[in-house]
Amino acid sequence: MTTSCLSLQDFTVYRGECPVVDRVSTELRAGDLVGLIGPNGAGKTTLMRGALGLLPHQGHSSLSALPANTRARAVAWLPQTREIAWPVSVETLVMLGRVPHLGAGQSPRAEDHAAVSDALAAMDLTGFATRPATALSGGEQARVLMARALAQNCPLIMADEPVAGLDPRHQIATLAHLQSLTQSGKAALVSLHDLGLAARFCDRLILMDHGQKIAEGSPEDVLTEDHLRRVFGITAHITRSEQGLIFQALEVVE
Amino acid sequence: MSAVSHKLLFTGLGLMVGLLTLTSLLIGPAGFSIVDSLSALFGGSGDAVSLVMQEIRLPRALLAIMVGISLGLSGAALQGYLRNPLAEPGLIGVSSSAALGAVVTLQTGLAAQMLFALPFFGLFGAGVAVVLLLLLAGPRGGSLTLILAGIAISALAAALTSLVLNLSPNPFATSEIVFWMLGSLADRSFSHINIALPFMALGWLLILSTSRGLDALILGEDAAASLGINLTRLRWVLVLGVAACTGAATSVVGAIGFVGLVVPHILRPFVGARPSRLLPASALGGAALVLAADIAARVILPDRDLKLGVVMAIIGAPVFLHLIYRTRRAEL
Repeated sequence: MTTSCLSLQDFTVYRGECPVVDRVSTELRAGDLVGLIGPNGAGKTTLMRGALGLLPHQGHSSLSALPANTRARAVAWLPQTREIAWPVSVETLVMLGRVPHLGAGQSPRAEDHAAVSDALAAMDLTGFATRPATALSGGEQARVLMARALAQNCPLIMADEPVAGLDPRHQIATLAHLQSLTQSGKAALVSLHDLGLAARFCDRLILMDHGQKIAEGSPEDVLTEDHLRRVFGITAHITRSEQGLIFQALEVVE
Repeated sequence: MSAVSHKLLFTGLGLMVGLLTLTSLLIGPAGFSIVDSLSALFGGSGDAVSLVMQEIRLPRALLAIMVGISLGLSGAALQGYLRNPLAEPGLIGVSSSAALGAVVTLQTGLAAQMLFALPFFGLFGAGVAVVLLLLLAGPRGGSLTLILAGIAISALAAALTSLVLNLSPNPFATSEIVFWMLGSLADRSFSHINIALPFMALGWLLILSTSRGLDALILGEDAAASLGINLTRLRWVLVLGVAACTGAATSVVGAIGFVGLVVPHILRPFVGARPSRLLPASALGGAALVLAADIAARVILPDRDLKLGVVMAIIGAPVFLHLIYRTRRAEL
């Protein structure tokens, strides 16, 4: 049995009276690359933020139960809003991922520098290290922020739409890198709107709608005609090939 | 920016503060020679020269440094926390509340009866502002509620200060209040330093302890929290630190603007924009700027008691305009 990286039991988050995440239970183990899919407002972001302990919630989350310092070494979180407040260098920004591993006032050690340059290389950012992060394009900034989460080097990465705004090459490269990380024993939970990428790269998908988990399983089991029509209101063409599942959205269902 | 150039920056700032301190000690209406002044500063013969050096010029220079460190640090910390280069120490309403407390003692004549009523009431005003902030912004409020609460408190304190001016018993009290509010380092003694230093030192320590959190906040509140930063704690440590520093500074020297706004802005590019590095740099830069402005206040119009706050605004506003112009050009 591999180690559990996240376990949710009857996990519920209320906004006012209304549950925006409603009794979701799931488990992520080392080696899992799980895609969180669902239409806008389905509760994907709230589920992830709640699981991290960033929102008040009911039910159990193995991560929110941890003390903040321990949690920061157990999970790296890439929020959807891409904030870079000051024109710091790319290297400085990615080094922030090492904050949980350093004591107060401690300078980065050789291993921290190594983690940063590995993360930069993984996100195809070698040579950007000294550039001011705010001077980069939106997609480049997204990759820098992903590199920051990678540099944190945690057993679990939670990323909220990590590939939104990236060019096709870097969308594929980012998910391929996450895939190689999970194959080497880490786990990842990523919310995705691109169902084609989700079908191709994720081992497992969690489909959410109106705060509830509608389905969980292999991409083939989750991306059914019925789910696509009911939850997303679309039809799609799905084929199985040597490359894995090929998904192409086609039309809006009235 | 590399480690070498950081060393250079801090050495340069340190040298600047040293030179300005020396200049501040050596100028004055008494016109002693350099040798006399310096030997009187360290010798304790009790003559007029050593009295002037040790009881007038030394506390003045030390207070300039302390106030500069306080305002520079507070400005850099608030800008870092709010992720806004326009934040300044007055934003959270503590300085205007401290000023209100001080002004009340001037109006009621308490300041004339009891030597240290003024700074104590200033500190009391700052304390009231912090309690109000806590109540208004709530223990878990975000940075926006904090700013709004600060603006509300500032506005209230300013209105009450106007009321005090309005009701002041005679023109002398009015002019005394107005002149005090312009801010000055003149006629301050070691007793003022003794009152202010404990609060300022506490504030410095609190602010410096937030540097990790301020760096993490570059990524936004969510990401900072996920990096193990306790944001609620960070906010209140920062508010208490800024309040202790600026409350004490306002209580002993009056309202000095622009230091907390301009100094972090000037120094930010030299520290690679990192909030944690900006804190010590702004502390030194603030000390240098307040020393320089105080020297200017004494040299430009030696007979007219030019107020420090006025000089600071006259230096600060054009510098700031220049910075805005440069930023605008960089954005094009």
